[in-house]
Amino acid sequence: MSGTVSVAIEKRLPGFTLDVRWEAEQSVIGLFGPSGAGKTLTLQCLAGLIRPDAGRIVVGDRVFFDAATGVDLPPQRRRIGYVFQGYALFPHLTVVRNIAFGLRGRPRADRARRAAEVIERLGLGGLERRYPAELSGGQRQRVALGRALAIDPALLLLDEPLSALDAPLRRALRDELREILRAWGTAAVVVTHDFTEAYRLADRIVVYENGRVVQAAPRAELLWQPASEIVATIMGLRNVLHGTVIKATPDRIQLSWRGQTLEAVNSPTRSYLPPPESPIAFFIRPEYVRLVRKDRGAPDPHHMNLMRGRIVGEADFGTVWILRLRLDAAGEPAQGGFDLEVEVPHLVYEILDIERDRHWEFSIHRGSIHVLPA
Amino acid sequence: MDLFPLWLSLRVSLSATALTLLVGVPIAWLLARRRFPGRNVLEAVVVLPLVLPPTVLGYYLLVLVGRRGPLGQALASIGLELAFTWGAAVLAAVVGSIALVIKSVQAGFETVDVQLEQAARTLGRSEWSVFWSVALPLAWRSVLAGTVLAFCRALGEFGITLMVAGNIPGRTQTLPLAIYDRVQANLMDEANALALVAVGIVVVLLFGLSRLARLRY
Repeated sequence: MSGTVSVAIEKRLPGFTLDVRWEAEQSVIGLFGPSGAGKTLTLQCLAGLIRPDAGRIVVGDRVFFDAATGVDLPPQRRRIGYVFQGYALFPHLTVVRNIAFGLRGRPRADRARRAAEVIERLGLGGLERRYPAELSGGQRQRVALGRALAIDPALLLLDEPLSALDAPLRRALRDELREILRAWGTAAVVVTHDFTEAYRLADRIVVYENGRVVQAAPRAELLWQPASEIVATIMGLRNVLHGTVIKATPDRIQLSWRGQTLEAVNSPTRSYLPPPESPIAFFIRPEYVRLVRKDRGAPDPHHMNLMRGRIVGEADFGTVWILRLRLDAAGEPAQGGFDLEVEVPHLVYEILDIERDRHWEFSIHRGSIHVLPA
Repeated sequence: MDLFPLWLSLRVSLSATALTLLVGVPIAWLLARRRFPGRNVLEAVVVLPLVLPPTVLGYYLLVLVGRRGPLGQALASIGLELAFTWGAAVLAAVVGSIALVIKSVQAGFETVDVQLEQAARTLGRSEWSVFWSVALPLAWRSVLAGTVLAFCRALGEFGITLMVAGNIPGRTQTLPLAIYDRVQANLMDEANALALVAVGIVVVLLFGLSRLARLRY
């Protein structure tokens, strides 16, 4: 369990070119990005199912592929556990025979012992004689994991492991999968187009876009400091806005947006210092916009970046409401018919009587305005 | 009544079916799964026996395996003669039925999810093992259907057989040729009996096929 996963590959296909390089200490690595960005292709190259045109793949101390020296281990010799999207369980084999499928070549007693051990650890006891068609979605996922883990893989690859499941099950199994990955301690690469999934499962996230890596960072860093507007968009962040720099210092950035002067926290570690007058992108999470209560008088000094606006649209999401605010300022709204999306808990919506009261003063803490480097 | 044509036909059809599977299944696998130069040519050649007139096929086979044909001479040099023997009838049946097996089995292999084969490879299985443990068990229905089709086609083979094996009573006269002979000789009762036997064999086989196809794996 030492060493790193290092991928630097190029693959040209008709109408698509994959050109990625990333490296990660062995842990759980998330490949995150929209469909068609090249995530699955990367997995296939890692597994040896597709041969890259150029580059190098190293896992731990083993070179899987190196175009320069002509090394290209066949999939059979890579010892990679591949959990396919949709699982690809052998429909003609029982659970126990699926799980023991990769153990051929070992003595019979060995195979039986290993299969039984995997079945027990994954809680599949009692299902040994069932066929995949007779299993629930969650059980199939565990069988697919078991089949891959049984060979004691050097690296586990999971391609959209939860996409075959429906929503309620998906959340439960996401946590179950996380537990399994932690418990087995196997290095893994998880492909997903869902940021929450990537965040829950992976320690480090590599963001893909159109065949390239646009950011690779520990998950917390990605969450709070997307490297660019592209990354923010792929993450599905809302309120990605454009303004103009007024002044930038290592820890503050003052910017002008819709006739307002906003103050944002800069990141000293990133040392992003755009010159005045340059365009700048930033985002504000909808749940961090605070409505100012009218019965509480003047806002305290924490309430920075005060603005006024009118609610021009709203949507009920059950436990929360999404409000669309339009600033009182003159000019075209920033996002079509509105300037900001604001999320308020259902209870707050009722207490503040937002249904009737449509005009509000609101504030955004400077720490909640996240600048996106160009 | 002389039942020799029945026994000969069964022997010829069984041998031909076995040979057809032996040659046809690997070709079907190649066509379904591999990209190689000449693949399109092979795909076209494979269907030729289906579209060419049987007498034309028979004629060329005769040219090939006849005494002065290249294959005929090669065989003669090791003391074998193929033309106008029951072996020639087997060859005729193979040529007549192999396209059915290849097309049916190829379609079967193509419906097997490629991912299952890739999964087997990542689990350490060789190409040989992938074929026997994954592809064949999942495509067995098509293989079975192809087998039954090939057997029925071999049983009914007439034109090619006549050209290359002849119609020698007691040696190469198969069931269809015997029926033809009896009709020519106006022995309608015998023709009728032989025809009914042929119908019976085919009906039993097709019934068995439909029963087997209901099994899962």
